[in-house]
Amino acid sequence: MIVVDPVTQEIIEGKLAATVDEMGVVMARTSMSPVIYEVLDFACGLLTRDGELVAQMNGITLFTGTFGTQVKSLIALYGDDLEDGDILLTNDPYSGGTHACDFAIVKPIFFGGRILAYAINVAHYLDVGGSVPGSLAPNATSVFQEGLRLPGVKVVRSDRFSGEVLRIIRENVRLPEVAIGDLTAQVATVRVAARRMAELAHKYGTDVIEAAFNHLLSVSEKQARAAIAALPDGTYEAEDIIDGDGVTTDPISVKVAVTIAGDRLTADFTGCPPAVAGPINCAAGALQSAVRTIFKALVAPQAPSNEGWFRPLSVVAPKGSVFTAEKPSPTGWYYEGSVHASELVWKAVAKLMPERFSAGSYTSLCVVYVSGKDEAGQPFIHIEPQHGGWGASRDGDGANAVIALTDGDTYNYSVEVIEARFPLLVRRYELNVEGGSGAGRRRGGFGVIREYEILGEGASAYCSFGRTDTPPWGIDGGKPGSINLLQVEENGGNVRNFGREPHIELNRGDLVRIITGGGGGWGNPRAREREQVRRDVEDGYLTREVARNLYGYEEGMAS
Amino acid sequence: MIRLATDVGGTFTDLVGYDERTGEIFTAKSLTTVHDQSEGVLAAIELAEKKDGLSARDVIFFAHGGTTVINAITERKGVKTALVTTAGFRDVLEIGRGNRPDLYNLQFKSPEAFVPRSLRFEVRERLDAKGRVLTPIELGDIEPIVRECRARRVEAVAVVFLHSYANPEHEIACAKAIAEALPDVTVCASHEVSRQWREYERSNTAVLNAYVQPIIKRYFARLESALTERDLTCPYYAMQSNGGISTFDQAQMSPLTLVESGPAGGVAGAARIGTVLGESEVLSLDVGGTTAKCSLIHDSRPTLDSEYKLEHTRIAPGYPVQVPVVDIVEIGAGGGSIARIDERGALCVGPDSAGSTPGPACYGRGGDKPTLSDALLTLGIFDPASFAGGQMQLDKSKAATAIATVAKPMGLSVEDAALAIVEIAHASMINALKLVTVQRGHDPRDAAFVISGGAGPALAARLGRDLGVKMTVVPPHPGIFSAWGMLAAEPRADFRSMWFAPLGPEAVSNLKRRFDELKREAVRYFSKGDAAEIRYACRVEARYRGQEHGVFALFEMEDDAESFAQRFHAAHERAYTFCLPGSPMEITMIHLEAVLHGPVIAIPKLDRTGRSLDAAFKGRREVYFGGTTGWVSCPVYERTRLPSSERIAGPLIIEEATATSLVVAGQELEVSEEGLLLIRERDGGSV
Repeated sequence: MIVVDPVTQEIIEGKLAATVDEMGVVMARTSMSPVIYEVLDFACGLLTRDGELVAQMNGITLFTGTFGTQVKSLIALYGDDLEDGDILLTNDPYSGGTHACDFAIVKPIFFGGRILAYAINVAHYLDVGGSVPGSLAPNATSVFQEGLRLPGVKVVRSDRFSGEVLRIIRENVRLPEVAIGDLTAQVATVRVAARRMAELAHKYGTDVIEAAFNHLLSVSEKQARAAIAALPDGTYEAEDIIDGDGVTTDPISVKVAVTIAGDRLTADFTGCPPAVAGPINCAAGALQSAVRTIFKALVAPQAPSNEGWFRPLSVVAPKGSVFTAEKPSPTGWYYEGSVHASELVWKAVAKLMPERFSAGSYTSLCVVYVSGKDEAGQPFIHIEPQHGGWGASRDGDGANAVIALTDGDTYNYSVEVIEARFPLLVRRYELNVEGGSGAGRRRGGFGVIREYEILGEGASAYCSFGRTDTPPWGIDGGKPGSINLLQVEENGGNVRNFGREPHIELNRGDLVRIITGGGGGWGNPRAREREQVRRDVEDGYLTREVARNLYGYEEGMAS
Repeated sequence: MIRLATDVGGTFTDLVGYDERTGEIFTAKSLTTVHDQSEGVLAAIELAEKKDGLSARDVIFFAHGGTTVINAITERKGVKTALVTTAGFRDVLEIGRGNRPDLYNLQFKSPEAFVPRSLRFEVRERLDAKGRVLTPIELGDIEPIVRECRARRVEAVAVVFLHSYANPEHEIACAKAIAEALPDVTVCASHEVSRQWREYERSNTAVLNAYVQPIIKRYFARLESALTERDLTCPYYAMQSNGGISTFDQAQMSPLTLVESGPAGGVAGAARIGTVLGESEVLSLDVGGTTAKCSLIHDSRPTLDSEYKLEHTRIAPGYPVQVPVVDIVEIGAGGGSIARIDERGALCVGPDSAGSTPGPACYGRGGDKPTLSDALLTLGIFDPASFAGGQMQLDKSKAATAIATVAKPMGLSVEDAALAIVEIAHASMINALKLVTVQRGHDPRDAAFVISGGAGPALAARLGRDLGVKMTVVPPHPGIFSAWGMLAAEPRADFRSMWFAPLGPEAVSNLKRRFDELKREAVRYFSKGDAAEIRYACRVEARYRGQEHGVFALFEMEDDAESFAQRFHAAHERAYTFCLPGSPMEITMIHLEAVLHGPVIAIPKLDRTGRSLDAAFKGRREVYFGGTTGWVSCPVYERTRLPSSERIAGPLIIEEATATSLVVAGQELEVSEEGLLLIRERDGGSV
């Protein structure tokens, strides 16, 4: 076996990181859809010839564990039937993917006549057909309502786009120009990756590169094992409730048992209910991602991600559950379910690692779709994930208004940009101070309130908000946070509340009020330093009543 | 008649003077005085007077770069600042963009706002995206705000209203009311510093500008009076982040434009070197003590960064600001960068730096950690006796002891470990240099590579080879190149404004009208009258319909929609590998770059007398190249005595007061008639 000298190893790892970053920049700046260029709902990675992830761009956490399973299932599907110049496309939720909206583009990178690596780019498409614009009906009951599925097709052969596949896409999506634009951008990124890998291979040879891949994976594995071994052995359990599946508002009880034994960690979801009727189910690939996100937070939050870190991790879950849905269970809003799998593991282990963990957050991405016609009569869709409050930690207050766990480097939309583009007027965008956050010695962060006034006729909205009944959890005597909610205030003043809602008619002058919750607290609120409470009152984060009732604070105590 | 520049860095204050009559160059270095940087500046002037006979009376031009603005921000030492904004939006500054680039950190928080919530005030008013008034401004809302600002002893107020880039009238009214009520308070309305959209970014820009404005005013006042006292009276210029200079008065209006003052000097210098060589594409790298900064000069102009962020890292969102800043990519690898074995057992270099205190182990000032400089000394590239013109004796054994701490765990000899440290610093620089070229659609093979900074020239030849550049250039005074570059900068102003229109004949005629307006604004800005010689570059940011981010393309005043579209497609293809010729296009922003013609530093031809290879020869030194090559005896030359226009084969070393350059085997050195060191591959090819 070849042993790579440490300097070459470091140089190759640096180049891998630079390559996935470069893919990301090309994608963000060339894509045609706002879900990608504003929300950055995409990720890029490089994998070994066996489908083991070696480098991944810093983007969102949803794809932490999907690349490996997706590429491995394509390898199984194609075997030797891959040639230089081929590029594959898959969006099948049940073979490692997430939902049909996420198109994965995979390029086998050949060097010297054989495959050296795979480059992958997964991106959320604005629309892939199905029963509603945007393809994500919050009340879908079958995957066949969620758009076109292309489970592993050659979209490029001999470096040329396949006309057939492009025609199929064009005829089955609502915004073909955008879809083809995004596809072109994705293909550009995997080609960039192929060029960079070829440069490496020319310089060092494929044997050295493959040995460097192996070394990288085994070093991360060793570090992960050491981190787990340092934690106390035992089984740690957690339970939570998912607030409705989009078809009904019935509570869905979920639970996990996390077992640490020596240098291994097992997350066992046995006992979770079978797949539900609505689209908040996730398939096994997305469950892997969800658990890995927290595993990474536990063992090495800042280190670059690769398959090696996750070798000491096992995920156990019976088939066909809400977290391991199978065809034809709908998975359109899978991240509304999978985030609860993440949070269960998070909640189970939080107290083992207070220096890295926090109390519960607003959890749900709270995505809102607003559509209608603009001034020129052209149809528009505005898709927006919402930011919210995160939980406190032992050493600090929770974060205000940051994106949910499932995403990551995801920006909110600029008010000025939205108003220039859509017939919407933002009436306010501020911290949800009135809804409050979990009180505690360290308090939870605040969510947001964002209000849209509808300026045109014939608009409508749909949404899927989680944690509309079950607030974020506190730790160690810290209080629970507050809940998420979508309100519509009709022009006449009538107010209606929504959580997961497939269709809301909107008229000119209606207000859509998005409210996201505050995170949970950590520790007894009465132990909070008086000076901190005083400052919170001065800054208007706490009212005097809240300061008195929850924190036992009276004016003048701090001085 | 002398033109003088001073550059205040983290450790040293550098001075370069240039006598226009004789071509004589003055240089001096003093320690930076942190509490008041003007003292260090005066000390450097004094030193140049004593050492080289500089006469302050003869100075007719004074350019100044410094870290006052960036320090006030990074150390949070600006003034107490309030924000007045549109009702419903006072938390925009705190919410920021809400992204979590530190993906797996469950304790992540957005960067703290520079104005606390209790000092963020709301005024009822509202404009729409076209700048039309939806709600007239409620001036009565300002009165209680003024009272509170007075009670809280606020020193600066930023005013930011939604869509003020489209119509500033509400901001103007509000700023005026506040300024009248609080005459001693600095008031900054956002449209004065940025006419770009995105409320969070513009708010940050206005807030940070207000936050540092009183600081820079006081500093310039101190500096001016100190200079005047020394009989150094002439127009004073500040080095701006856009690669140009402005008068102190202009700079005080928008001090945030000084945020990358020092590095921009280096970029201006690199552009000047490109002009001397007739090279329009230049890649510049300045290797400092803690970081290396690289930048690209395209079409003989520094490239501007459209999304500049303060304190931004891979995992920290930082503070985006909308001021024109040269596009600089910073790498955490400099001469003082510390090498260590990390938790994976891998060798890393940087981002921690030994700085100047204690400094690299070889400085003998108590540093015991191995740095890039220790490695360069161990390899024989630096000479212990003649380093920094012999002003500082380096300690080879201390360097070896420090390097042994990383050599042992890797099972390497000290010299192989030193080589490994250099290799890793080298690789991270290559990745960053590729970022500014390839990733932005430029080909390094078309570029001249100008490398400066204390440790830069020692790495120059290998970096140039791996990038495959046309040639590698070591400029004059590489160790104080930013100051030198300030003498190459001309007065410059950038005017950007948002403007949306589908690209078509109507838009193009509107564009011409708008650029003419901006040009009139530029003439007013420079206040040199209508006859002033101003060079303009018009750029238009456009995008394909449906895209968010635009691409800038040059706009010629004689363009029609078709000819501009062609140029846009080409720019898009260069930046992103594809273009969509059939797609409709939209204009999003226009940008006028205006440069007032000014005299810049000349690089006189060398006086050939007393120059020859023999005269320059100082001896030989063993340099370690590792592998099968091992130690090689290399000739060492003194730069100031090298003959011009002769080709000298590497390997060889060139020494001068502020730097040491290495030319490796297979390369050859040529000293240009202007004294620039040009390093090329012997076979003419690139790797």
